[in-house]
Amino acid sequence: MDFVQSPDPIRGTARVGNDQPKKAPVPVKIIVAGGFGVGKTTTVGAISEIAPLTTEAEMTSASVGIDNPGQAVTKTTTTIAMDFGVLTIDQTLKLYIFGTPGQPRFAFMWDDLIKGALGALVVVDTNRIDDCYPAVDYFERAGLPFVVGVNTFNGQMNYNLEEVRWALAVREDVPVLSFDARFRSSVRDALLVVLDQALDKAIRAKST
Amino acid sequence: MTYPDPDDPARPARPSVRPFLQSGPHTAGGYRPAPGNEPPVDEQTTTLRPFVITSGRTDGTDPEIGMETQVTVTHAAVPVRLSPEMRAIVALCGDPLSVAEISARLRLHLGVTRILVGDLRAAGQLDVHVLDNDSPDPETIMRVIRGLRAIT
Repeated sequence: MDFVQSPDPIRGTARVGNDQPKKAPVPVKIIVAGGFGVGKTTTVGAISEIAPLTTEAEMTSASVGIDNPGQAVTKTTTTIAMDFGVLTIDQTLKLYIFGTPGQPRFAFMWDDLIKGALGALVVVDTNRIDDCYPAVDYFERAGLPFVVGVNTFNGQMNYNLEEVRWALAVREDVPVLSFDARFRSSVRDALLVVLDQALDKAIRAKST
Repeated sequence: MTYPDPDDPARPARPSVRPFLQSGPHTAGGYRPAPGNEPPVDEQTTTLRPFVITSGRTDGTDPEIGMETQVTVTHAAVPVRLSPEMRAIVALCGDPLSVAEISARLRLHLGVTRILVGDLRAAGQLDVHVLDNDSPDPETIMRVIRGLRAIT
């Protein structure tokens, strides 16, 4: 694949020999947001062509584990570790999928994150629906197209989609769907709904 | 012109994520990165090092440099002496790479990476491919949709 990176050796100077540079692709991004342990990393990993990478934007000493549903409930301090994946659409277009924690205190980071984003998938665990409120609030205020995706974990859902919609009180035009974060096709379909929303918005923006 | 460089690594320097200021006068405002994986040995040293990497800056990241922004080596660049971290970044960017990938691969804090990429851009070592328009256009979105539909 053309974009598979091989680390070039350092050759004593700052320059690396590569006479025909590839043209940089246009990057686009989709945000995957939600509380801890709802399956953001799984979602990113399912669709990414590379193993999800992690970048750290802030961290506290108390958070060692990665998304761990068992500890998530009592977790008070946490890593702002963002998992992200890449999907090469073609040689000139690359899709980045950023998984990001949904805590309101991270909002400062989201401003950067959503700049230029196509849209967002808010991942919901029906056991802890309120974990996703900050993300929903944020995207609504920011005017970013988003979709609520209930991660079904083995097809189990404690509430049906209408009940989730009612609990979240999202606008009628915000899709609420269920998906299984473990399966690529399921994540793909959820992202396609996000892209539909993004397309609607882009077309509206263009026609005005 | 070359001369022995004690910092010159055999392979790209892989600085671990270094702890950053997380307490004290710097907590207020601005960019506020925090400690890394290694258990802090000594508060004094662990808070200093990232400052050294960024020449003392915790703020002032170029807003044009986003996480997905693509970066490549400037091929006409004049070779200059660079810090190990900067050299590692340049070494990675022979092919286009995003800022987030640079950060992840070098285990450099995202904020530190953005600052260093901005510096390397200013120094003429890196091309930062800033997009013309912030909001995605329908044609691009259609291409993403078609691309996604094509995967199985």
